[in-house]
Amino acid sequence: MAFLLGVLLFVVVAGILDARLIPWPRPRKER
Amino acid sequence: MIAGHFGLAAGVKGRQPQVPLWALMLATVWLDIVFAPLLAAGVESFDTVPGTSGGYGNAIIHADYTHSLVGALVLAALFGLVAARPWGRQAGVVLGAVVFSHWLLDLIVHRADLPILPGNAGDLPRLGFGLWKVPAASILVELALVVAGAWLYWRAAVQTAPADTRRPNLLGLLVLGAGVVTLAVDALVA
Repeated sequence: MAFLLGVLLFVVVAGILDARLIPWPRPRKER
Repeated sequence: MIAGHFGLAAGVKGRQPQVPLWALMLATVWLDIVFAPLLAAGVESFDTVPGTSGGYGNAIIHADYTHSLVGALVLAALFGLVAARPWGRQAGVVLGAVVFSHWLLDLIVHRADLPILPGNAGDLPRLGFGLWKVPAASILVELALVVAGAWLYWRAAVQTAPADTRRPNLLGLLVLGAGVVTLAVDALVA
């Protein structure tokens, strides 16, 4: 139960909000 | 350990801001995510520690493929290789390392149930320092990882978006709160 809650909170909620709200630098693919 | 893994991933985001947070969070529990279908299929399993009714830290985990040393290295390498395709080599290395950090943190808390080779081939000694035998210490370690990770994450977010600190503040509190709630559920309910 704690595992599913953690995945939901961190991967889904925090992950999505983080990507939408903070203008992090994008990963640069090396040539 | 569940919340501690997420705390470590949040801390890594603070130092590697170009790697997506959701990917770091996925990577940090990747061994457990692969464990889930193998558990359902009966390939891997877990028991409660004899003399206990289960609960926080009272599990002996027979995850002889996903949580073997070599198995974890293979899963980490595969995750890193897949991540490197869209995001480049550095992100792949970071995410692969975060996958493997799961095994290192588990090594600290697990009783000696982590095999070296997949399937415990060769019947080599199983590893685990057993911090779970002292639940208060294990919970403190997890809490420290959550607090430190949330702080590193929040600090990097403020540096990235200095003009409007409301969003970093909101997300820093979300990461901290999610870690504390997950740890509380793990320690008190699971």
